[in-house]
Amino acid sequence: MEIDEQSRWHLVKELMGNQRVLLGKQVTHGLKKSPAHILHYLSYYKFAAKMVGSNKRVLDVGCGEGLGTWILAKECGQVKGVDFAQEVINVGQTNWSSQSNISFECSDFLTLSAESWDAVVNFDVIEQISPENVQNFMTGIINNLAEHGITIVGTPNLNSQAYVSEISKLGHVNVYSPELLEEEMRRYFEHVFLFCANNEVIHAGFLPFAHYLIVIGCKKRKSLLDYYPPLNVPTSERKNT
Amino acid sequence: MSQDEKKPLKNNVKPLLKDELIELGSVWSYNLWNDPKRLAFVLARYKFAAEMGCKQRIILELGCSEGIGSPILGEFAKQYTGIDMDKEAIVSAKKLFGNPEINFIEDNFLGNRYGTFETVISLDVIEHIQPDHESLFFDTIIKNLGSDGIGIVGTPNLTSVPYASPGSQVGHVNMFSAERLKSTMGHYFHNVFIFGINDEIVHTGFAAMAHYLICVGCYKK
Repeated sequence: MEIDEQSRWHLVKELMGNQRVLLGKQVTHGLKKSPAHILHYLSYYKFAAKMVGSNKRVLDVGCGEGLGTWILAKECGQVKGVDFAQEVINVGQTNWSSQSNISFECSDFLTLSAESWDAVVNFDVIEQISPENVQNFMTGIINNLAEHGITIVGTPNLNSQAYVSEISKLGHVNVYSPELLEEEMRRYFEHVFLFCANNEVIHAGFLPFAHYLIVIGCKKRKSLLDYYPPLNVPTSERKNT
Repeated sequence: MSQDEKKPLKNNVKPLLKDELIELGSVWSYNLWNDPKRLAFVLARYKFAAEMGCKQRIILELGCSEGIGSPILGEFAKQYTGIDMDKEAIVSAKKLFGNPEINFIEDNFLGNRYGTFETVISLDVIEHIQPDHESLFFDTIIKNLGSDGIGIVGTPNLTSVPYASPGSQVGHVNMFSAERLKSTMGHYFHNVFIFGINDEIVHTGFAAMAHYLICVGCYKK
């Protein structure tokens, strides 16, 4: 029996059910003000999800409203998102409270009790951590990583800062060049893989032109003392060494 | 810039080029005659492998053929060694690309150890390895790697078989899907990352639609 287009579309709609997703203030603002930025942000998460792989336990540090955290949950397995702003945590909790593989916690990451995660990811976080706190931050990541766990860090490239808004500049107190980010990670991990992101494309191209940097660390060092340079020198002072 | 300023610049370029020509061996001459864009794809795979695991490292390539990847790998690496059982290919590789940092050995590498390397790369090789030699192939990668070694293996995706040339289909006896390549590498490395390559673009998109697969393993088990 022939059915018309509208009835056929109705069948499609029925299959979709009646679920709803709430976009919080941050994502809404982004979507209206610079929608491409949301695309880029989600593509970083997709990249991380593919790198982590399936059947893993992932901790998302600085998860915001949890849209990227949800990508990790769908692709990787069990995910927990932490952020220190209750408002953004509420959005994630509202959306995905019925799902057993994703949870959120409002917490200062550094006070989070150490667990054994297969991966710790953080995007747009490390550039907001003052250089003297980076060691604490990285140690927090290490303490939360399983023996064979990996960490993925995403942050704007130093070279992109000439083009960012005043608001972003205010929050960015610790922006890395590719070389410094790699060096930072090498203090904690034996293996470091550095990628460039330009818009939604993630590649292994010429680093100075990367808009954004994504770095993967594997095989955490047994002792932080087995690697140069001195740990207590803030990154800002290591630039010319 | 005035004409006068341009002229000396132009005259300065030519002397910078050395009086050097390369005549490619039979494999790459064939490729360039019949499917020249393939060189772009192949160099893209090498460049990605170089970015991932060659910077300032001592590296080994298993199945280097005529050494077409050695200039890119060698640019990143501290020391490069390429192995291939094709005698003619190794003669060509040595002649075209050999230098104190880049050396080639004619050998069937299966089961052999050539030293302790920081990275072992093998592109377009495993699909030519008989299934009953597959574990020997991976064992060979592992036995040439130091404890903090990285292994990089690239091969056409199983899903690309219907589109392969007759020549490729004859030679390809052990095709991998992304899942099987990742899980096999996972037997040897704790951390394994798999990428798809379509033409010269490396990505992490839907694996079945990747034409080519490249897998990076680290943290040896």
